[in-house]
Amino acid sequence: MRPGRTGSVVPRGLAPIALVLPGFVLAALIILWPVLQLGQISVSEVNRFGQIRGFVGLENYAAVLADPDFLASLLRTGIWTVGIVGGAIVVGLPVAIILHQDFYGRGIARVIVMLPWAVSITMTAIVWRWAMNGESGMLNSGLRGLGVLDTNVTWLAQASTAFPMQILIGILVTVPFTVTILLGGLSSISDDLYEAARLEGASTWQSFRRITVPLMKPFLNIAVVLNTIYVFNSFPIIWATTQGGPANSTDILVTYLYKLGFQFGRLGEASALSLLMFALLLALLVLYVALISRGEADR
Amino acid sequence: MSRKLRRSLWCWLALSPLVVLTLFPFAVMIVTALKPATEVLSPTWWPSRLAWENFVTMWAATNFGPALLNSLYVGVASTLLALVVSIPFAYALDRFRFRGQGALRQFLLVTQMLSPIVVVIGLFRIAAALGMVDTVNSITVIYGAFAIAFTVWMLQSYFATIPRDLEEAAWLEGASRGQALVRVFLPLAVPAIAVTAIFAFINAWNEFVIALTMLRSQDSYTLPIQIFSLVAGRYTIEWHHVMAASLLATIPVAVIFAWLQRYLVKGLGLGAVK
Repeated sequence: MRPGRTGSVVPRGLAPIALVLPGFVLAALIILWPVLQLGQISVSEVNRFGQIRGFVGLENYAAVLADPDFLASLLRTGIWTVGIVGGAIVVGLPVAIILHQDFYGRGIARVIVMLPWAVSITMTAIVWRWAMNGESGMLNSGLRGLGVLDTNVTWLAQASTAFPMQILIGILVTVPFTVTILLGGLSSISDDLYEAARLEGASTWQSFRRITVPLMKPFLNIAVVLNTIYVFNSFPIIWATTQGGPANSTDILVTYLYKLGFQFGRLGEASALSLLMFALLLALLVLYVALISRGEADR
Repeated sequence: MSRKLRRSLWCWLALSPLVVLTLFPFAVMIVTALKPATEVLSPTWWPSRLAWENFVTMWAATNFGPALLNSLYVGVASTLLALVVSIPFAYALDRFRFRGQGALRQFLLVTQMLSPIVVVIGLFRIAAALGMVDTVNSITVIYGAFAIAFTVWMLQSYFATIPRDLEEAAWLEGASRGQALVRVFLPLAVPAIAVTAIFAFINAWNEFVIALTMLRSQDSYTLPIQIFSLVAGRYTIEWHHVMAASLLATIPVAVIFAWLQRYLVKGLGLGAVK
């Protein structure tokens, strides 16, 4: 609680409730009501038009968990999430530190780094899909021009090249948000601390290890938590480049879910999968937060 | 001075791989959009001439105008909806202490975690029951609701920087709490509200999966769906049209964003560690 709060004349009672109520009701209606629907559908037999035919218990859940496509997508979602979230931090932290320096053209550099955020991820993915075209794509011609490639690669024709490229695109569109959070953190560290360290004879590296890293921890954690939520649920990059193909070999859970629900019409299983995904994400985040707080307690 | 120059060179050198990768798709988009139709399939960087007519033919061939109007409508209406409910929400979270406040913050975090894709089947079922599938209003309400967590978070972090003294002074001079709110607090909050509104608008402008699910006919398509429909499941793709449409849909948002991104650093940074 901040000072000056407790003593002020705050009328207790209904005012704050009335203020938050409209937003709460809207959010609950649009976000929690569908969750209840999912719960109902997931334990029912449903036809492809969504009509409920009867109670089947956990059959839909069992069917999802036994599906080899689910297990393959789950594994790929792990690689996808860790690759993009990790990659965005590995790229984002040095970039944020550079953008925090005072140098010529910093304003322009910041705008360029942030730019992918302003573009719909769908359109970014469509542009990359065109750039990765085997015969006519600019990526092949660019890499050939640099002498990296001798022959054209059909990037999206097999998962071994398509999926790493999709992760690369994922990192590129995740960097702006990550850098934004980290820049906010860097600018919250007072210059006095560095000045004091310098007067005490600390090197730049020591200042970085002893001041920047510990004070940046909460911001790094926030970036990891929020990015994990976004990336785990990210749909357009894969959908607009390969639609999970060829032969489901680039499906992650969200694209597999979409196919299950809206292409195969297996709504019961798709609802079960939705809830399983939410539970998985929640469990991961609770685990991560627990690890962070234990790390804090140990120090 | 020469020290700063040298530092600048190092900084730009270190950033250059990311800068190249970031600008690459923009370059591809611009070059392809301006190539004459006959040269689109050859992967050269310089077109023989700038084919500005691509934008005109694209407009006619791709249903761009109606999709643009739909996107504008959805973006503006959903942003207004989110703001109308989020401003009092954020004000209450920042200026009051009440039971359930912690639970409300948890609730916002959970709504943030439930991304639209996870609940899309439930949403579709509800929209179908209400007869709202294939209407822009359905996605407007959905975008508005999903924006609440973000707008409350942004607004609250700004509201916390507005000194309470000003409002308290107004109370002492006999203004009611409501009057102080409208006359003193809200004018100070206008810049914060504007910035938050623009980010909510951009999110709605760019959203994909809900629109893909709910919108079934071309009349109701928003821009991302319209452009996606030009490349999905087609044997021949008119890439110069696709890129011209993407460019036209991107530029206004990118310009506004470039202008406003520094406010984001402040707002998100402050909100993040609360």
